[in-house]
Amino acid sequence: MNIAPHAPTIETRDLILRGYREGDFEAIAAFGASERARFVGGPQDRWDSWRAFMAGIGHWTLRGYGMWVVEHREAGHVAGRVGMIYNDGWHEPELGWHIYDGFEGQGFAYQACIAARAYSARHFGLDAVISYIDPENTRSVALAQRLGATFESESEVLGKPCHIYRHPHEVRP
Amino acid sequence: MTLTLNIPRLETDRLILRGPEARDFEPIAAFYADENRSWGFGGPLDRADAWRWMATSIGHWALHGYGFFTMELKDSAAACGLTGLWNPEGWPEPELGWVVFEGFEGKGLAREGAECARRWAYHDLGMTTLTSNIKPGNDRSIALATRMGAQYEKTYVNVHLGEDLLYRHPSPEALS
Repeated sequence: MNIAPHAPTIETRDLILRGYREGDFEAIAAFGASERARFVGGPQDRWDSWRAFMAGIGHWTLRGYGMWVVEHREAGHVAGRVGMIYNDGWHEPELGWHIYDGFEGQGFAYQACIAARAYSARHFGLDAVISYIDPENTRSVALAQRLGATFESESEVLGKPCHIYRHPHEVRP
Repeated sequence: MTLTLNIPRLETDRLILRGPEARDFEPIAAFYADENRSWGFGGPLDRADAWRWMATSIGHWALHGYGFFTMELKDSAAACGLTGLWNPEGWPEPELGWVVFEGFEGKGLAREGAECARRWAYHDLGMTTLTSNIKPGNDRSIALATRMGAQYEKTYVNVHLGEDLLYRHPSPEALS
């Protein structure tokens, strides 16, 4: 069985959400090694970032959806990753976002999340999804709230305490 | 270019070698939960990490165009092990690997599958050499590598597994 795990391409005003390319690894590894990754399982070494990169591709095959690479349209740089994560051990699929150094504070994460959330609701049947957020990650909490998500419960994922935020419906049930 | 999968389906007398599929997760999780069986293959791993390993192995196919096949028995369609080519970040060079799941060992299935994967690497991918990285003390794997004609070349420090033995397989010419 041949499977093409490429993500659909989504364009927003400033961003392109697209599938993974080999050349994305250095940006993913730089983020993984940085303090910015502390709320998403990092910082991690190159080996673990490589595994995360590969697993991000495999996720699309196993689940039919996953995280997109977010590229800044004008700069042509990888600005982060955003999309649906449903690893084994997750309660349900979540909307996750990783914003790389130099791309925060410009509304890009909001733009990418809105696009990924709307697409996932319409095409993957994933609506009113959750986001797992470390309560100390105040920037992510603020973004979740700007996205209209509300605090639902205290939980844990893979043994780590976190808060579950619930996003509003995109499609009327 | 966006990374895509193109995984062939290979056949031997008793086996089908095919790409990883979601239904392989339970046998892979069981394999990785068993330390005695998986310690030479990066284990043991809990369920969540076994799932990540599986997702990673699919990504590996997309990146390299080769990876680990699931070995499936022709007669029962049971997943009985993994074999294929592995070359993650930091690896010395592409290696031929194999594992057999519980209940399927001692039947020569690992050799049958691994020799098929080796032929594919040489004939279809055009590889000119192949190694197998084996943890010291993994005597069953060393015995199989030796039966397949591979020879010990060196001991090195693997980026993920630590001290590791590198065996080198006969060249395509030597096998033809």
